[in-house]
Amino acid sequence: MWEDTKRTFVESSERIVRAIARLMPTLLAMVLILLVAAVAAGAARLLVRRVCLRLDLDRRLREWGVALPAAEGRREPSEAISRLAGWGVLALGFVLGLGTIEATATSVLAMRMLEYLPHVVVALLILAAGITGSRALERSVLIGAVSMGIQSARLLGLGTRWLVVTVAVAMALEHLGVGGTMLPVAFGILFGGIVLALALAVGLGARDVVARSLERRFQEPAERGEAPAATDDLKHL
Amino acid sequence: MRDATYSPSPDPIGPPRDRMERTGPILVAVDGRASPVPPDDVRRLEGSLRLRFPGREAVVMVAGWEGPGVALRAPGTAGDAPPPGRPPPPTLTGGGIPGPESTMGALLREMDRRGAAAAALLSGDVRDATRDWLGALLAPLLDEGFDYACPAYLRHKAEATLNTGVVYPLTRALYGWRLRQPLGGEAALSLPLARKLLSDPDWRRDPAQAGSDAWVVAKVLTGAARACQSWLGAWPGASGPREDASLALGRVLGLVFREAERHAERWQRVEGSRPVVTFGAPGALDGEVPRVSVDRLVATFQLGQRELGAVWGLVLPPASLLALSRAAALPAASFRLDDVLWARIVYDFAVAHYTRVVERRQLLRSLTPLYLGWVASFLNEAGALGAGAAEERVEALCTAFEREKRYLISRWRWPDTFNP
Repeated sequence: MWEDTKRTFVESSERIVRAIARLMPTLLAMVLILLVAAVAAGAARLLVRRVCLRLDLDRRLREWGVALPAAEGRREPSEAISRLAGWGVLALGFVLGLGTIEATATSVLAMRMLEYLPHVVVALLILAAGITGSRALERSVLIGAVSMGIQSARLLGLGTRWLVVTVAVAMALEHLGVGGTMLPVAFGILFGGIVLALALAVGLGARDVVARSLERRFQEPAERGEAPAATDDLKHL
Repeated sequence: MRDATYSPSPDPIGPPRDRMERTGPILVAVDGRASPVPPDDVRRLEGSLRLRFPGREAVVMVAGWEGPGVALRAPGTAGDAPPPGRPPPPTLTGGGIPGPESTMGALLREMDRRGAAAAALLSGDVRDATRDWLGALLAPLLDEGFDYACPAYLRHKAEATLNTGVVYPLTRALYGWRLRQPLGGEAALSLPLARKLLSDPDWRRDPAQAGSDAWVVAKVLTGAARACQSWLGAWPGASGPREDASLALGRVLGLVFREAERHAERWQRVEGSRPVVTFGAPGALDGEVPRVSVDRLVATFQLGQRELGAVWGLVLPPASLLALSRAAALPAASFRLDDVLWARIVYDFAVAHYTRVVERRQLLRSLTPLYLGWVASFLNEAGALGAGAAEERVEALCTAFEREKRYLISRWRWPDTFNP
């Protein structure tokens, strides 16, 4: 019995050692890939940071109102972008490393992740462009509305910003394939509802105001029996 | 109405010029970009020139569109239609004309080609033919040896507020010369000055700015050219559409601030200001006050103070913001903006334009409520004053700009010392 136990133990140990020996090259290859990816991530981060500095991206984003003014302890946008690039390269290296494992399920998972990666990148770019543009547009609309003396200038600015962000999020989600056809339908219903509500509000609730406003715009003051608008005589040049 | 009397003042700019280059013809370009110039007006102008300057050949040409730019043509020659999609060009008398839309480049080239002793760029507005306004503009160049004559017009104190409140005090404080109406596309130049301007590298380096009226004025005031100003009587009136304050500010101040940036090394060494040689009778018009709603101006200022605080906070220091919030609490009838505060606001915006803390067009448009607030304050103070007293009020404003120039210099040199 002791001999049988000893023989079984030795055979099991040999099987385990052989299995580890079979896996070792794969694990070593994966560790090597991860090391290379780490180095590549560092290089990518440096390169992206240099490109951002060369383009003076931080100043331009602050100029357009996308980024907050520089302050101690506050991370610059270029720093955040370069870190994101670095982590992205590292994640890619991890996915590639998974592909070295011979297990079928793991390889298939790695391949599917690699196929999905471009969609993620494009969605992130759409989102970034949307958020950047929304802030710049918000400020532009706010300043323009204030200059025209519109009291609801802040509301107009905020509305513009959230409209652009909503469109960008919807486009990004559609690109990621999240929600299928439900997302465009929901978005259409939302937008259509907002437009219908505005049309009803203006057409029914503000009918008289719109009529008076159009009358003022197209009639001469003398026809209305009024004096001209007082600011009409102000000549700036 | 134009006045033909001359009253040269002492202390001109620059050394006297010789008269060798002053025997050529006279060239006059009339602005026909916005509307065609009637041939009768051109013939009348040519006759007036020959009468006023006998023995000199006089050539009148009309400025019109040629492709995307402007060219001079013989009268009666049809020019191109304005470039599609382009808004109506700003009127010449209003000023703030950017380089690509300016006739100055075409005028300088034509002047050089013809060897014209003097040239004038004029708007197409109707003028009083009984007055010697051409003589008042060109005689300083042809007979007195000046290189540049800046036209000035008699206007009501409530008109040209952008010039009164910003451009004149700022130009005077920066460059040290009291050119009363530096803003305006009309000008008269001598051949030596024209050739000097034509050879300037800015035509290649900065084509968007070169040739603009602000560019010409800055080059003259920072160079060795002999400059003067000629009062030509009552303003003939702009023939173009009235412009929104926001658009006017964006267009005009963009050019003026850009020139301040270009000549920064020069104006930082200038202290105070001196009068420019003046021909004609200076002054302002009395009469019916243009109807302006001070309440609406103050309301726009208060709206800006409420909603644009975040933007103004990137440009103005806390002390100015506090002063503005106090001013916003004042009723419209007693609304006031202190001269020192206004000077510092203009300087802060000039620095912000230079350092690009805010996108430039947004920056200039965000100045609109502040500018309208200043207009309201000025009208409240000067509304009851006569033309002479109002001009003294403007003089006090200019003095404040000159006194606060040190503030501008320190902010310009060390913009990072103010970090919102």
